[in-house]
Amino acid sequence: MNAEVELRTVSKAYGDAYAVDRVSLEVARGELVALLGPSGCGKTTTLRMVAGFVEPTGGAILLRGQDVTRVPPHRRDTGMVFQSYALFPHLTVAENIAFGLKRRGVARTEIRSRVATMIGLMRLSGLEQRLPRQLSGGQQQRVAVGRALVINPAVILLDEPFSNLDAQLRESTREELRRLQQELRLTAMFVTHDQAEAMAIADRIAVMNKGRIEQIDTPAAVYHHPRTRFVAGFIGRANIFDAEVIARDPAGVAARGPAGITFVLPQGDHPGRIAVVLRPEAIRLAAGTDAHGPNTVAGVVDVVAFYGATAQLGVKLADGSRLLVEGSGDLPQRFAPGSAVVASWAASALVASAA
Amino acid sequence: MTITSLRHPFGIFLWLMVALVMVYILAPLAVIVASSFGTTGYVAFPPQGFTLRWYEQALANPRYVNGFLTSLRIAAIVTVVSSAIGIAAAYALVRYEFPGSRLIESLFISPLVLPGLVLAVALTIFFSRNPIATGTDRLILAHLTICVPCVLRVVIPVLQRFDRSIEEAAQNLGASPVKAFFLVTLPVIRPGIFAAAALAFVMSFDEVEMSVFLASPREQPLTVALYSAVQLAFDPTLAAVSSILIMITFAIMVVHQVVSRIRSAR
Ligand SMILES: Nc1ncnc2c1ncn2[C@@H]1O[C@H](COP(=O)(O)OP(=O)(O)OP(=O)(O)O)[C@@H](O)[C@H]1O
Ligand SMILES: [Mg+2]
Repeated sequence: MNAEVELRTVSKAYGDAYAVDRVSLEVARGELVALLGPSGCGKTTTLRMVAGFVEPTGGAILLRGQDVTRVPPHRRDTGMVFQSYALFPHLTVAENIAFGLKRRGVARTEIRSRVATMIGLMRLSGLEQRLPRQLSGGQQQRVAVGRALVINPAVILLDEPFSNLDAQLRESTREELRRLQQELRLTAMFVTHDQAEAMAIADRIAVMNKGRIEQIDTPAAVYHHPRTRFVAGFIGRANIFDAEVIARDPAGVAARGPAGITFVLPQGDHPGRIAVVLRPEAIRLAAGTDAHGPNTVAGVVDVVAFYGATAQLGVKLADGSRLLVEGSGDLPQRFAPGSAVVASWAASALVASAA
Repeated sequence: MTITSLRHPFGIFLWLMVALVMVYILAPLAVIVASSFGTTGYVAFPPQGFTLRWYEQALANPRYVNGFLTSLRIAAIVTVVSSAIGIAAAYALVRYEFPGSRLIESLFISPLVLPGLVLAVALTIFFSRNPIATGTDRLILAHLTICVPCVLRVVIPVLQRFDRSIEEAAQNLGASPVKAFFLVTLPVIRPGIFAAAALAFVMSFDEVEMSVFLASPREQPLTVALYSAVQLAFDPTLAAVSSILIMITFAIMVVHQVVSRIRSAR
């Protein structure tokens, strides 16, 4: 296995509370893995254990096949980009970038040329002699990335690297980072609580909840085949229904949900109680009041949100719950608030996850 | 218009207070300096005439000159040693939370709240029972008991404000914890260190009580020389010595200001 980073059932307990609970994970060469989850789920702790700043209470961490679990941070081959950037305030941009090379005893002339290359790559030309406080937030962020990249670490570790940038800059910076990562075939782990950010740039997403990885998959797989209810709710928007399996046959599985809905799902190995996940964009609406048969439900439009190319509607169901529907921008014109509608969807759009 | 404006009644009041405080603090110094130039054989204000005779006498008096050099030497040693101990202790207290670290911190600070005289008497008794040091070394040790806490007081908050991830970044890039401290932490907190060292220096240099009790008779610091001279008679030579100290302090402040202006203009 050519994993650059490998975590084997790594845990970190503070007292009897587990910040990270038996996390296993492999990051292949050239792969960008996002650690995604809500605040306090253990993302930063996991990343800091890879860097060596937090000592695991259980499990093992391997970098390029070497067990580094007990190796101090300065002897580990990782490049970390801190959330606060953590630039050295008393050193210039060039000196900041040269810092890691100097510690590695790289020859002077080579340091100069590698720093110059990195300055060009990070679009910092002309700023070499500036101090960090004389830079904009975006420039500081690029120095922080350049400083970590220049030492060619086995893995780049980024802890919410875009959270201090404004919305526009955030998007362009993350695209740039993704391009750089692909061009240089960098191995990277990236912490975020923003699912859109993770979807946009990660090769794989590890969705974390309460110290555990609930699912690790490609963005598409995490979105279309969420394995748990938590993952379904955290990634994108989802309608999630508690349902009870009432019949199984070769054609599919029938389950009874709330508001009188009968779901028919593709055949699968489902337990008795499941959570049925239905993405809002997979729902079709038609005017009417009668819903007959499975995979359909009647309701009344109650909220409308228009986003230009797309729009979202809330459809109030008989039991008072609300079905979220997403469609093209003309949806609000076709269905005004108060109109009676019938929603339907294909069996293939349904995903059952653990309840 | 802000309330600090001179057109605001409260602004006028504020400026008046500032002026009063300035006068209150600076006037005694001005009186000393002015009277050191007077021709009367006693300290008089306003001074009469102008002479440099008292300066001549002060500089010709070995008690003052040697006292000055002794004080300088003691203060220099105390500054270096107390800075080293104080910074290391502050670092340990801030970085490593261990059981009792709060208590140790309070104990470290406590000599600062003891009256100097109490400390002086206590140390005199201590040294007479435990002759672990002799001569000027005793005074140096005594000064450390107040200068180390003083360095701690200044450096602990500085370290607490220091962004720890900067140190971690250095380690992540290959610097050992010790290297990270010297290459990153120390340079970043340098202004705080300078402030602490300056305070320790001044504290040692103008310390009176412990010096009177513990100084070696053969090596009297300046404060002791001045103190015993005052008991005989307050002649203008004392004013001249004081004026020299005031002027040195003033010169150092000016140089410091100029240097930091140039630094920040970079
Ligand atoms: N030094 C510590 N002592 C005790 N508990 C800690 C310590 N560090 C972290 N924790 C706890 O471990 C859990 C995980 O923290 P962590 O910082 O990894 O979360 P995170 O996923 O990065 O969250 P965020 O998105 O808010 O940054 C939290 O519940 C936190 O309170
Ligand atoms: Mg975090």
